[in-house]
Amino acid sequence: MLELYRHDIAGTFYSWKGGIWIVTAALIFSLVAYLLLTDKELSLLDQGEMLFTLTEVIISLGIIISVITASSSVSTEIESGTFESLLLTPVTPWKISLQKLLSIITIWIILYVVSIPYIFAVAGGTNLGISAILYVGLYGTLLIIGFSALSIAISGRLRSSKNSIMTMIMIVLILLSPSLFFASSLKKTDFGLTLENINPVSHTMNSLDSLLVDNEQLLSQQLSHIWPVIIFTIICIVFFTFYTRKFEIKGL
Amino acid sequence: MKSIVMDGDNRKNQERDDRSNSIHTFNLTKTFNNFHAVESLSISVNPGDIFGFLGPNGAGKTTTIRMLCGLISPTSGTGKIAGLDIVKDSLKIKKIIGLLPESSGFYSWMNAREYLVYFAALYKIEEQIAKKRIQNLIEKMGLATKSTVPIGYYSRGMKQRLGLARTLINEPKIIFLDEPTLGLDPKGQQDIQRILVDLNRENHVTIFFSSHALNEVSSLCNRIAIVNKGRLVAEGSIDELRKLVGDSSEYLLIRLLNLPDTQKALSNIQLPIKINSNINNPTKEFIDVSVLDAESHSINKVLEIFISSGLQIYEIKRMNRSLEDIFFKLTDSKKEQKLHQDIKPEISKNIDKNQNITGSKTGSKLQNHGGEQ
Ligand SMILES: Nc1ncnc2c1ncn2[C@@H]1O[C@H](COP(=O)(O)OP(=O)(O)OP(=O)(O)O)[C@@H](O)[C@H]1O
Ligand SMILES: [Mg+2]
Repeated sequence: MLELYRHDIAGTFYSWKGGIWIVTAALIFSLVAYLLLTDKELSLLDQGEMLFTLTEVIISLGIIISVITASSSVSTEIESGTFESLLLTPVTPWKISLQKLLSIITIWIILYVVSIPYIFAVAGGTNLGISAILYVGLYGTLLIIGFSALSIAISGRLRSSKNSIMTMIMIVLILLSPSLFFASSLKKTDFGLTLENINPVSHTMNSLDSLLVDNEQLLSQQLSHIWPVIIFTIICIVFFTFYTRKFEIKGL
Repeated sequence: MKSIVMDGDNRKNQERDDRSNSIHTFNLTKTFNNFHAVESLSISVNPGDIFGFLGPNGAGKTTTIRMLCGLISPTSGTGKIAGLDIVKDSLKIKKIIGLLPESSGFYSWMNAREYLVYFAALYKIEEQIAKKRIQNLIEKMGLATKSTVPIGYYSRGMKQRLGLARTLINEPKIIFLDEPTLGLDPKGQQDIQRILVDLNRENHVTIFFSSHALNEVSSLCNRIAIVNKGRLVAEGSIDELRKLVGDSSEYLLIRLLNLPDTQKALSNIQLPIKINSNINNPTKEFIDVSVLDAESHSINKVLEIFISSGLQIYEIKRMNRSLEDIFFKLTDSKKEQKLHQDIKPEISKNIDKNQNITGSKTGSKLQNHGGEQ
């Protein structure tokens, strides 16, 4: 059942260059951690705020890496003509896509494991380290499953890596930093508020903020943020299941 | 069309039967936004056939093959492969068929062996069996010395061989090939043809292939279908197609010495002749002349006429109308109208002979364009 998954993982790491993004991610984590801990102004921040900044970086990086990988996953095979031979085997398009989804989740898990020592380092001696690790794992995994599922479905629909990466990057940018697109006055309108209410990334960041900066450690205090993220993930999976059921070869 | 409608029991028997490697389509149609790429196509391929699928560019060959292999779904009509429905049973069909597409992509970072291992796993072939099979295929396809080189470095011919190896990895009972020898050198073409013939003879694999190489088709195939603009134009053995194109299929090819008065002498010949060479080129040593309708002339009589006209004969041969002639005659759109008039008497003759032109095992048939009758 997992042949395709193994193949995709092997494809990602077939040469040392395949793992370059892990090194890059680790370098970014190091840089952020270094600045937080040594820069005079930044290190004036309390431990919780530093930790919050780092978790934001980890989750954003995870989303971007998985969205780009997922948006090109099916379309690259279509563009290079390898998808037709996959569809000729008795494996359904849904199973092909599911295995691609699993391989992207694996990439996220690797990134997550790499980030753990940095979280510990920035948390210093405080008890915030463990909750940061748990919540980054929870939110990161949910968001990445959702975004990747959506990206894979779009990749198979648009059949072009360029178009699906651009589409997904736009969606991610709007969700990741709404302030970039909507002036603060717009934020207070009904539209702005609704977007904020359904935006799973905002919920994640607000939750981490209250958890790490305001030290609201009870699960019940975070539930109002966790639900919207779970619903987002479920909607994306439904979308994924629906749009990967059938696939028709076109053109070459 | 009895063979198309099968009840449950019959179907089970057929599935068990090794000879059930047949392909039937009934009014198969594929429409892309109002454009009929394939229209009401009904063909029958018998178990063990090497079936040639011909037609000009854009005739709908690839579209038909994709429908049969479950890569696209038909707009209407049905098709059965080994008794299985091409839409409902497409996963079952995929297990027992192989397709070599018009052009396939490969993972350039893998080598041939890894690539075949990957596909063997996708077909759920047991590891030990797969290993042996892959070794055999690599040797048979002549890839043994290159099996550890990344596919990115393969030439077109090597990729095509690897594609064929992939097509055969599940030991298919029926294989489809979309222009398999396109772009291969003569040796490569011959190798692939030989492999196909061996598969057909030794393992009774049914082979369905599209091609533009008409000599290849006429030497390999026992049955042929010609399509044009999505419609079936003719189906049958080459001999049957020859008859379908109307006028007699045999002609005499006479090679004459090109002497100063040859042209004048030829114009006096009272036979249906066609001059094939450029007669006005005095540097040419020979002139080729075809005497059409050769069945009705004895060679003696033809020779007599030629000799008495003072022509110097160098060589004489009895020839069969080539598949190329048939192909052009059946697919030339300008002649299409005329063709149908030509062919109609032939259809009725065929119907008289076989009772049922589409049902008989080797029966040829002609698809009439709707409304023309
Ligand atoms: N996905 C598609 N959308 C729109 N039109 C299509 C599509 N696929 C094929 N066609 C059209 O259907 C017709 C038949 O195409 P097809 O590829 O089956 O021809 P073919 O017989 O294989 O030709 P060739 O000999 O050039 O390979 C063509 O006119 C083509 O443009
Ligand atoms: Mg084609």
